[in-house]
Amino acid sequence: MDNTPENSGLTGSEVGHSESAGSGVESSASMLLSLHGITKSFGAVQALQHVDLDIPAGQVTALIGDNGAGKSTLIKTISGIWAPTSGTMNWKGKEVHIHTPRDAAHLGIATVYQDLALCDNLDIVQNMYLGREETQVGVLDEITMELATKKTLKDLSVSTVKSVRQVVGSLSGGQRQAVAVARAVMRESELVILDEPTAALGVSQTAQVLDLIRTLSGRGIAVLVISHNLNDVFSVADRIAVMYLGNLVSHGPIANYDRNSAVEMITTGRSDRVPSPLASSN
Amino acid sequence: MSTVQTPVGSGEETPVTSPWRRVLGLVGNQQFILLLVLVAVMIYFDFHNSRFFSVSEFQNLIVDLSAAALVAVAELFVIVSGGIDLSVGSTIAVSGVVGAQAIVHLQSHHFGELPSLLVGTVVCAGVGALVGTVNAVLITKANLVPFVATLVTLSAGAGLALFFSQGAQIGYDPVAATWSSTGFWIFTWQALIVLVIVGVLGLVLHFTSYGRYNYAIGSNPFAARAAGINVNRHVASVYVMSGMLAGLTGMFFYIRIGGGAPQTGIGTELEAIAAVVIGGASLVGGVGLISGTVLGVAILTVVTDGLVFINVSTYWNQVVVAAFIAVAAILQTVSPGTRKR
Repeated sequence: MDNTPENSGLTGSEVGHSESAGSGVESSASMLLSLHGITKSFGAVQALQHVDLDIPAGQVTALIGDNGAGKSTLIKTISGIWAPTSGTMNWKGKEVHIHTPRDAAHLGIATVYQDLALCDNLDIVQNMYLGREETQVGVLDEITMELATKKTLKDLSVSTVKSVRQVVGSLSGGQRQAVAVARAVMRESELVILDEPTAALGVSQTAQVLDLIRTLSGRGIAVLVISHNLNDVFSVADRIAVMYLGNLVSHGPIANYDRNSAVEMITTGRSDRVPSPLASSN
Repeated sequence: MSTVQTPVGSGEETPVTSPWRRVLGLVGNQQFILLLVLVAVMIYFDFHNSRFFSVSEFQNLIVDLSAAALVAVAELFVIVSGGIDLSVGSTIAVSGVVGAQAIVHLQSHHFGELPSLLVGTVVCAGVGALVGTVNAVLITKANLVPFVATLVTLSAGAGLALFFSQGAQIGYDPVAATWSSTGFWIFTWQALIVLVIVGVLGLVLHFTSYGRYNYAIGSNPFAARAAGINVNRHVASVYVMSGMLAGLTGMFFYIRIGGGAPQTGIGTELEAIAAVVIGGASLVGGVGLISGTVLGVAILTVVTDGLVFINVSTYWNQVVVAAFIAVAAILQTVSPGTRKR
């Protein structure tokens, strides 16, 4: 374990815990996704340092932390944008190697990125099916795709979109978010990762997206949501995971945390209020 | 279905589009405006010289159009994917010269006309694909921006065409040249073949996953990659295809001229880009229709041929073409359908 000078004093003890506790090993069989010792370096910069994280099915896990804490790096590693430098991932108890976004998609991991990863010039149907179009003898089957898109949006109670043939560039932030989430659902994903889903949204649109997240976990889908907004976190999350300077310093059920302890963990990487956070990973 | 450029909201709110809306939508449709411009230009030329509307002139027009259409469509694929290919003109030259050398060689060994032309076609397409592969490697492996990568092959291709031909026309093939003017009604066989290829490419661009990926990559390469599309492989394939189509254009000119000359096709890249822009594609990527590009080529061809027909000095050609590009580009910035972010 190579701690950088600036965090060795502050977080050394917590980081030490994470190794000795072997977080989640005994429970990893019941976990949808378990990360063990995930490290990611960009040249000399260690963006992730030995991250251990368990994500259970049917629950909303909130990933919180300050800017540069490594949240986006972690989800990009899970979704195959970047391969981890070291560490292992277990999917439903079996070790997996995710090298490309396609690998992640095959497992059932769908990621909704902060920059939304939608193509503005394509309409809703075209975006929903991007990369896995329905075809008949090589020709795009637009009717099947349009009907399935309408059904998925209806199932998720997304009613604000007028036409599924609108280009995505013309949608509001909340509608775009809904399309991105619906795309993940339509692909029958078992883990949906949302990067700052409410960051650019107004009050009512935020409420819509939070409802959508609840709908997802109600369907047994695991949700990993990055958020800066603790209101959102405490309103939808079942579990919290806190990152600080590339380390996962704490994670556990939301009942173990309150707003103050969460803020302390985010800003300093530790909190005396959280009772031995890493031991209580269930 | 052509949702790519349809202005947002035109007839989208109601499930059944009323006839009025349809007419208004059509008038607002860029493709329809292009068609009107084309017809207007043709009527103008016929007004000044009544022989313009004749079978022989239309035959000429369509031959000139099809000579430009293959590279313009190739350029459309590249531009929609967010790139640009400056090397198509040089590729026409170098593939025409090399193809001509192959044909001369075969004919000197008593091959028949048709087999040697067929082999020549394969050689031309192969040379073009080779240039395209160099572009693809420079762009996807060496991470050069497409402008620079294809500038490299533009220069190298023009030089190699001169080197292989030693500056002179290769081959003398009157049989091929004579065949090039035969055909059916206003279509020569050569033009028909080109139009079929253009039609197939149009279907690929608008009705297959390959075409859909092209639009996605041109708009948001990250989104395309996150959706599981192999972006580098797709981009590489687009440049290889562009080179191949330029190579086939080299063969087109071999047959029409009856030989391969090193200056053939030089500068064609700018005409092709002009046609694509006039046709409503965005150089930013992600926007453009095959019908627009074909209309763009048609307008450019009619204007350049028509100016000759009404005895305007050919020196004015480029100026008139420039005016068309300027107007098309300005129209694009005010058109709601192509507004970006």
